[in-house]
Amino acid sequence: MHGVKHLVEVCILRMEGTNNEYEVFNAFRDCGAFPHLVHLNELSRRQNLFEYKILIIPGGFSAGDYVRAGAIFASRIKATLWKELTKFIDEGYPVGGICNGFQVLVELGLLPGNENRVQACLATNDSNRFECRPVFLAMEKTNCVFTRKVTKALSLIPVAHAEGKFLAEKGIVEKMEDNRQIVFRYSDEGGTLAGYPWNPNGSPGNIAGVCNPVGNVFGMMPHPERAFHPFLAPDWTRCERSGDGRAIIESVVEYARGL
Amino acid sequence: MRVELSGNLAEISEKLGLALSEGEMRVIKDYFDKRGRSPTDIELHALGQAWSEHACYKSSKIHLKKYIDIKAPQTILLWEDAGVVEFDSEHAYVVALESHNHPSAIEPYGGAATGIGGILRDVLCMGSQPVALIDPLFFGPLDYDRQLPKGTNHPRFLFEGVVAGIRDYGNRVGIPTVSGMVFFHEGYIGNCLVNVGCVGIARKDEIIRSRAGAVGDAFILVGGKTGRDGMKGVTFASQELTEESEDISRSAVQVADPITKEPLIHACLEVNRARLISGMKDLGGGGLSCVVGEMALAAGFGARIDIENVHLKETNMQPWEIWVSESQERMMLTAPKENVKRILEIFALWDVPARVIGEVVSGNVLQIFFKGELIYEMEIPFVSGGPVYERPYVKKKEGGGIFDFEEPKDYTETLCNLLNSPNIGNKESVIRVYDHEVRGSTIVKPLVGKVGLTSHGDASVVAPLEHSWRGLALTCAVNPSLCALDPFWGAASAVDEICRNIVSVGGIPHSLADCLNFGNPEKEDRMGDFVEAVRGLNHVAAALTLPFVTGNVSFYNESPMGFVPPTPTLLGVGIVEDVRKCVTADFKHEGNAIYIVGETKEELAGSEYFKSRGLGGGNVPRVNVDVLRASIAALNEATREGLIASCHDVSEGGIACCIAEMCMGGDIGAAISLTPMRHDIFLFSESNTRWVVETTHERQFEERMRTHGVNFIKAGSVGGDTISFGDTISLPLRKARNAWGEALG
Repeated sequence: MHGVKHLVEVCILRMEGTNNEYEVFNAFRDCGAFPHLVHLNELSRRQNLFEYKILIIPGGFSAGDYVRAGAIFASRIKATLWKELTKFIDEGYPVGGICNGFQVLVELGLLPGNENRVQACLATNDSNRFECRPVFLAMEKTNCVFTRKVTKALSLIPVAHAEGKFLAEKGIVEKMEDNRQIVFRYSDEGGTLAGYPWNPNGSPGNIAGVCNPVGNVFGMMPHPERAFHPFLAPDWTRCERSGDGRAIIESVVEYARGL
Repeated sequence: MRVELSGNLAEISEKLGLALSEGEMRVIKDYFDKRGRSPTDIELHALGQAWSEHACYKSSKIHLKKYIDIKAPQTILLWEDAGVVEFDSEHAYVVALESHNHPSAIEPYGGAATGIGGILRDVLCMGSQPVALIDPLFFGPLDYDRQLPKGTNHPRFLFEGVVAGIRDYGNRVGIPTVSGMVFFHEGYIGNCLVNVGCVGIARKDEIIRSRAGAVGDAFILVGGKTGRDGMKGVTFASQELTEESEDISRSAVQVADPITKEPLIHACLEVNRARLISGMKDLGGGGLSCVVGEMALAAGFGARIDIENVHLKETNMQPWEIWVSESQERMMLTAPKENVKRILEIFALWDVPARVIGEVVSGNVLQIFFKGELIYEMEIPFVSGGPVYERPYVKKKEGGGIFDFEEPKDYTETLCNLLNSPNIGNKESVIRVYDHEVRGSTIVKPLVGKVGLTSHGDASVVAPLEHSWRGLALTCAVNPSLCALDPFWGAASAVDEICRNIVSVGGIPHSLADCLNFGNPEKEDRMGDFVEAVRGLNHVAAALTLPFVTGNVSFYNESPMGFVPPTPTLLGVGIVEDVRKCVTADFKHEGNAIYIVGETKEELAGSEYFKSRGLGGGNVPRVNVDVLRASIAALNEATREGLIASCHDVSEGGIACCIAEMCMGGDIGAAISLTPMRHDIFLFSESNTRWVVETTHERQFEERMRTHGVNFIKAGSVGGDTISFGDTISLPLRKARNAWGEALG
């Protein structure tokens, strides 16, 4: 057993419309961490973010996403939790956003996070509809603390979103490339960057997941918690699969254990 | 407000929009005459709701009792708003299936969305976590280009609206839509059908009854506010659609709000787990008027309600409007008074409104007060009892017989056309807009095969518990074309298809839910179809001791365009002992042998092949229950032993379309030998109880089938990039995929 010092308490943040917390909770627990489901109202009342070592914003349709996806969740964080959250990040604690959580981090300006303002958005898919489908992700070499244990060049992980096209202000993507902030790109089964349906939303440069310049804030549209064991793969009855999402969760848990 | 029941009672019923018959009004008049007073408007409206066909099953009750109540060895824990069936020693699964037809015909987006909302509440109110949604849908042809009667919406408008409604609601509440069907038939042009099913999982000790706890307990109304949306939905659902329905009854369609529902689910499950509540029931058809009485009656108590305490969307609502409103996202709880404070606190944390609106009292009378004034006082058994009718019916004449027709000249083209037809073609454009993976427990997805090149599966499989490989195989089925020709064998075929789908993935058929969609029961031929269909369901299900654990009857599915084909939709649940042994329908490896299990007969009546050629006559597929029972056992055993590489049930489009789907999913061809049987019968007949199986273990597989006395033929092998049947069909895979992929336009 680990000493108390090494307990990895994870804050899985939710508000009305967050709906992927169940599988995210299970994934962290099964990687040896101690996840807690925390409502934003509770966290902002108690102001106790520093009791946790990891903050995760899971997927869903926060507040219904009736305006731009993630925008309301972001503005509520900004209003109630902003100071503590930026301090948490500055001190090197990991913050991850999956799907709607990624949209929230972008709406907060924490991703790509090169400057202290909103520089990007996740726009409506080129297909103009919700897409629930498996995708292959080609990993880039980065400092991201969420991918240190990802050893495979290609991960098979599903997406499920209507707004996932990563669009940034002019020059930002180039800057992100230079800083090695692009973590995952959509590819075909051979690892070649390809169009729809391999790239499910039409993201320029096939961008699927990004981190901040330091590497401790990370967001991705695909759902690693839904690829947590081999039998969640879409084609496990055809070939050996390994549950490619697990390594992402394990990476951040191990990193946090060292904090 | 008092209503004087004198003069023409039918007129009074019509004026108030009660939809009660003259005879029913007379019973009501007698009841109040005996009490020496006239009824109030709220009392009459409550009776109109409670005695509607939709709420009290007055035309179907006696037949359901006779045919749908099947004794079975499965441990069924409860039959309430949903069926509760044992899953393992500690857990139960919960099943519910309902129609939301009339609202969807008028307002497809809102009608379908609120259908999902309602079915989720049915599962939730048993104290269970919803884990899967299943949506069988029925529309007119999408390319219909003739004049539509006034008030009828075009099938494409309805189809797109319904799919969007399910998508936006299901995705937002975070429950995966794992299975469904979309069926097109001219009979649905005037009245589409939207059936919605949901499955949940619960710890047995957390299952909560849909009834009040004890005298003195508080009634707590939680969730959305009550408004004028969804007024008298059950009355609307108990009448035919007319050209004026859209104008008159739009207010019967509720407004959906998934973002109230999602925290409502959390809060309800939380107060249940904390054992703070004594009863829970959802507000569906009839709104408060049904839920309060039913909860009290089930517990043998009465109730007292202070109706001004109900939280409202709009001011100036009449008490009777509050009482019958079907506004969405509401649940009723009962709880001991000492727990009320904690319950309200939990709901406040979730920002979900919760208000105490009354209490459980002894006796069997329900009283409603409005600002201290008594406005409603009736015995609950009188209200909930409702009339029962044994309506006259006539049986459909036997059609069919052998029909003389030529074989097609070009079989490859015939197959291509079938793959391109809406009922067989690729439904990916619907399936992928539904999130079928949220909750991270979908083991066999609705689309199976090589990533990027998938095809239709049979049943979907979810593993609902953490750290357990035990799973639920979920599917739905009915072939309305068969039911239209022969409701008995059409319904029997639906049970057969459910079993085929579940067995294909390696599940053991375990329970059924039925949603019976028919025309006006006051017309003898429609009533005859209904009785024949429930007899047909019984014929197969009783022989397999497969119980119907929950169900719903939807009559009056008629419009100026006529009545819908008899549509006894089934949702089937199978138990999968170990999901890691599941099998999918896509062909796996070059060189593997292909078998056809079951017997192919001339059963082309109602087939997609006949429809594509405009042919009538022929035989409707029948079911031999002994063969079905043996086949289930044989295939379950073979799957358990790992003998099966892929398996797909043979249904619409026959063996040819079945094998084409397996090829497309596996992205590999197949070579099949023809039998001496006439080719179009062999290729396209839709005989029941058949599967196509791929295996590497030929000897053992054949042995298993023989042990159980199951017929099979070795038909060919997997390989190449062409779908070929002897010298008769040679269809390149790519061409098949194009035809199949473009079917929905």
